[in-house]
Amino acid sequence: MIARTKARTRQWGRDLADWMEERTGLLSIAEKLLYEPTPKRGKWLYTLGSATLFLITLQFLTGILLLFYYVPSTDEAWDSIYYIMNEAYFGQYIRGIHFWSANVLLLVIGLHMVTTFLSGSYKPPREMNWVVGVFLILIVTILAFTGYALRWDMEGFYAWEVGMKIASYMPLIGDWMVTFLLGGDTAGPATLSRVFAIHVWLLPAALAPLIGLHLYLLRKHGEFGAAFEYSERLAKLRRRRQMREYLEEEEDEKRATGGE
Amino acid sequence: MADELQKDPMSRGQFLYLGAVGTGMGIVLTVPPVIYVLDPAIKSVLQGRSDVPSEWKELGSVYEIPAEEPTVHLVEFAQRQTFDAGQPGAVREGDNVGTITNAVLVSWKDGRLPSLLEGRSEEEPLSSAEIEELTRELNVMNNACTHMGCPVRWRAEEKEILCPCHGGIYDINGMHTGGPPPHGLWNYTFEIREDGAIRVKHDMHVKEAPREKPYIV
Repeated sequence: MIARTKARTRQWGRDLADWMEERTGLLSIAEKLLYEPTPKRGKWLYTLGSATLFLITLQFLTGILLLFYYVPSTDEAWDSIYYIMNEAYFGQYIRGIHFWSANVLLLVIGLHMVTTFLSGSYKPPREMNWVVGVFLILIVTILAFTGYALRWDMEGFYAWEVGMKIASYMPLIGDWMVTFLLGGDTAGPATLSRVFAIHVWLLPAALAPLIGLHLYLLRKHGEFGAAFEYSERLAKLRRRRQMREYLEEEEDEKRATGGE
Repeated sequence: MADELQKDPMSRGQFLYLGAVGTGMGIVLTVPPVIYVLDPAIKSVLQGRSDVPSEWKELGSVYEIPAEEPTVHLVEFAQRQTFDAGQPGAVREGDNVGTITNAVLVSWKDGRLPSLLEGRSEEEPLSSAEIEELTRELNVMNNACTHMGCPVRWRAEEKEILCPCHGGIYDINGMHTGGPPPHGLWNYTFEIREDGAIRVKHDMHVKEAPREKPYIV
C-alpha cells in the first residue's frame, strides 16, 4: 500500500515536471544554471561564491522587509529600529538575519577572494572577472558601512563621521566628497536621506548587474582548474613532449648517418 | 568616383549629425542628475554657503569659567538643510526648524584666571579694553578631535584633553601635543559682552590649517 502510494506520488511529480518542461523549458534552464563542472580538488572551497550569492539574496529579501518599518529621518530612525526589534512580530528575527548575514557576507566574500587569489583563478582569461569581483567587494563594503549609519545611534553616527573625516583627506575632491555625502557642510537630516538612498537604491542597483556579469563570466570561462582544463593542458604538454622527442630522434639519426 | 570609394553607407555629414545629437542627448541625460545630487556640494564648496546660519548664540559667562580646567557648554545652532531651505511656511517658531547641538570647550589661556576677574563683581560692566584682554585670554574650542572627529574629553589628573578613539592629545589651550591629529582643536568665532556673556558663532578656524574645514556637527 505504502509502496504503491510512493510510486504514484513519484509519477505525479515526474508528470508535473514534464508538463512544466514542455511549456516553459524551466527544468532545462535550471539544469543549465545550476550545474557547473568543478575540479575534484578544492571541493567545499568552490561553494564560497554560491554562499556569497545566497547571503546577498538574503540581504535583499530581509532589507525589503525592514523597509516596511524603517523611517529614514533623524528623529525617527532609531525609534523605528527599536520598534522593529521590540514590537514588530518577528522583527528581531528579520533584522537579526539582515545584521548577521551582512557580517558573515563580509567574511565569506573575503574568503572567496582569498581562495580566488591563492588558486590563481584571476589569471588569463579570467582577469575581467577578478576586476568585477573587486568592484563587488567594494560595493558590499560600502553597503555594510552605510547600513551601519542608518541606525543613527551613537555608534553608527560616529562611524559615519569618522568615514567623512577620512573622505575629507582625499586629494582634490575631499571637500566635494564630504559635502556630497553629508548633504551640506554639517551632519543632519539630509545626511541620513543620502545614506538611505545610497544603501537602499544606488548600491543595490549597481550590485545586481555586476553580479550578473560576474556569473556570466564564470560561465563563459568555467571554474579555474576544472577537470577539462587540466586534461587539455596535459594533452598539450604530451604533444609538445612527443614533438621534442621526435625532433631529438631525428637529430640523432642525422648525426649517426653523418649528416647525409 | 567618390561614390565608388564610399564603402560605408553612412556619409560624413550623417556621422557628424548623429554624433552631435548623441552628445546632446548624453548631456541632457547625465549633467542635470549629476548637478542635482551635487547641489549641497556646489553650494558649500563653490558658493561657500553653510547649513548653519551665521548668528550669535549665548554660551555662558566669563565668570563661570574656572582656572585650571575647561568647562563644557552645549550650544544649539539652527540648521537648514534640504528639509528646511527657507521656503515659505517652512520655518515656524519651535517647529520644523532643524538644530544641531555642539559641545563647546571653554578654558582660560594656560589655565590661568585673568587677574582682572579676581574678586570682581559680576554687576560691574567690562570696559572695551578689558573685553579685548579677556578675548585674548579665552579659548573657545569645539570638542571634535581634528583627526577623525571623535568627541574629546578633559583628563584632570594628566591636565590634558584626550581623544578616546586614537589617543590624540591636546593641552588646555587646545594645541595638539601628541597622537595622530594634524593640528589643534577648532576655535569658534566668539565675542564677550559688557556683562561678561560669551556668544559664539558656528564658524570655526584653526591657525595651523587656515583653508581646512571642520566638517563636524
